[in-house]
Amino acid sequence: MAGGLTDLGVIGVAERVRRGESSAEEVTTASLARIEAKNGALNAFLHVARGEALAQARAIDERRARGEPLGSMAGVPVAVKDAICTRGMPSTAGSKILAGYVPPYDATVIERLRAADAVLVGKTNMDEFAMGSSTENSAFGPARNPWDTTRTPGGSSGGSAAAVAARLAPCELGSDTGGSIRQPASLTGTVGIKPTYGRVSRYGLIAFASSLDQIGPLATDVRGAARLLSVMAGHDARDSTSLDVPSGDFEAACERSVRGLRIGVPAEYFGEGLDPEVGESVRAAIALLEREGCVVRPVELSHTRYAVATYYVLATAEASSNLARFDGVRYGLRVERPHDLRAMIGATRDAGFGAEVKRRILLGTFVLSAGYYDAYYVKAQRVRTLLRRDFDAVFREVDVLCSPASPTPAFRLGEKVDDPLAMYLNDVYTLPASLAGVPAMSVPCAPTPSGLPVGLQIVARPLGEATMLAVAAACEAAFPCASPP
Amino acid sequence: MTAHGPPHFDVSRVAMLASLSLDEAEAARFQSELPTIVAHFAQLDELDTRDVPATAQVQLDRLPVRADQVTPCLSHEDALAAAPSVEGGGFAVPTFVE
Repeated sequence: MAGGLTDLGVIGVAERVRRGESSAEEVTTASLARIEAKNGALNAFLHVARGEALAQARAIDERRARGEPLGSMAGVPVAVKDAICTRGMPSTAGSKILAGYVPPYDATVIERLRAADAVLVGKTNMDEFAMGSSTENSAFGPARNPWDTTRTPGGSSGGSAAAVAARLAPCELGSDTGGSIRQPASLTGTVGIKPTYGRVSRYGLIAFASSLDQIGPLATDVRGAARLLSVMAGHDARDSTSLDVPSGDFEAACERSVRGLRIGVPAEYFGEGLDPEVGESVRAAIALLEREGCVVRPVELSHTRYAVATYYVLATAEASSNLARFDGVRYGLRVERPHDLRAMIGATRDAGFGAEVKRRILLGTFVLSAGYYDAYYVKAQRVRTLLRRDFDAVFREVDVLCSPASPTPAFRLGEKVDDPLAMYLNDVYTLPASLAGVPAMSVPCAPTPSGLPVGLQIVARPLGEATMLAVAAACEAAFPCASPP
Repeated sequence: MTAHGPPHFDVSRVAMLASLSLDEAEAARFQSELPTIVAHFAQLDELDTRDVPATAQVQLDRLPVRADQVTPCLSHEDALAAAPSVEGGGFAVPTFVE
């Protein structure tokens, strides 16, 4: 086993701790030891909460010793993307402008994890403000892929995916705006879920693009990710976009038969730009599902090719507005400019933001500026409607869609860093589901001949997570998550 | 775009609107780089969207409205705890009105 106790997965650990076969402290110690041994090579964690984690674990063990019932995440070490606010623990969103920032409150998902007796072991590396597909935009250096440390683990939740793939912790909270959970899950051979928009509270998620951002789980197996989703989901009055629907027993959904389910395969996701080895692996996974009794048919999502332009207009516009809050006044960095407020704000933002964040703030400001607002921003909002209609139409004919999650396996660090447009085009298969607000996930399928992970993307209709998870579990039975060497 | 002629991306104007004080090298880099990305956005002009409504948010029709009730919020002390400069119980900023 690569990670010993952390290899057991979410459910294996929680059940062991609940039965008293391992203490929460033993599991936490194992996770912390593995982080210490591996993080130097991976740069997956920005902050390791050793003291707090051990204290939390001991408190859980004491409660068990007193005969109190434990929650469904009992003693499970959970790593948290650094964009999610954790009371008393640094939360930088991968940015210099928030270096050292310690939030005075917990995100709703963190409250729910604590209540379920999870142990928070630390905060993971990410592209600054979740803007990127490789973690190379982190102000604190790139995270590395445990399958090949010269390659990226993807982004923006790259540190999260690297940590789970290397079994530093069995699961992780990430966030996905345009693919930031699914693409890194695909590149690291882990399971990653972007829930339906509104399914999981965004309260306490440092905002990038509010109409797209969703928090979701990454884990070493489908059932573990499903359990984590069940804990996090459900209405939260503190997030005005939170849907008033109860959470579900997503773990039970993993046991459902897939026989008779209709799978749509969109031709637009298998065209130019798709690495042939990735295409072959994904087709093999779809053939496996067909052998399991699914009905596979081609479908059309005709506006797919417009998703990249649509997303990069809307997400940058929202980001330029959201990031206006970083002004050196209430929190974060300040570059002093006595007697000149505007100069203080401008200098603070110049010193605090990295190049990609500035690039997106400038693009977003431009598309919202007088004379261009209708031509770019409103136009993209209208095309977003066309993309949504594509999904509405196919989900009248099929139950889920299957495609690659990323057009390529993990690419080398530095390979695309000087070509922002090439980096943006890498998100082509994950952006449409984000724009439509539908749930989507990546689950491992067969690796490439050279051993790099490949992810199958499964997309379902709004609130269709249960069906999506049943398909993912069927795929996992043939291609379980492997540990890197 | 088509209806407005080719877009004119002026980095110094946009940086001013975005409250970013870019140095010369950065401004030059973005001035050469961003028009290429903006040109890619023009791809959307291929679609006739005159009769298509805009999507601002995917689920506005399903969202509950919160009750108008006062609930506990951050304490004054917590709210100020991360501020770079505090004076007289508030956030301190450089003088902007003489």
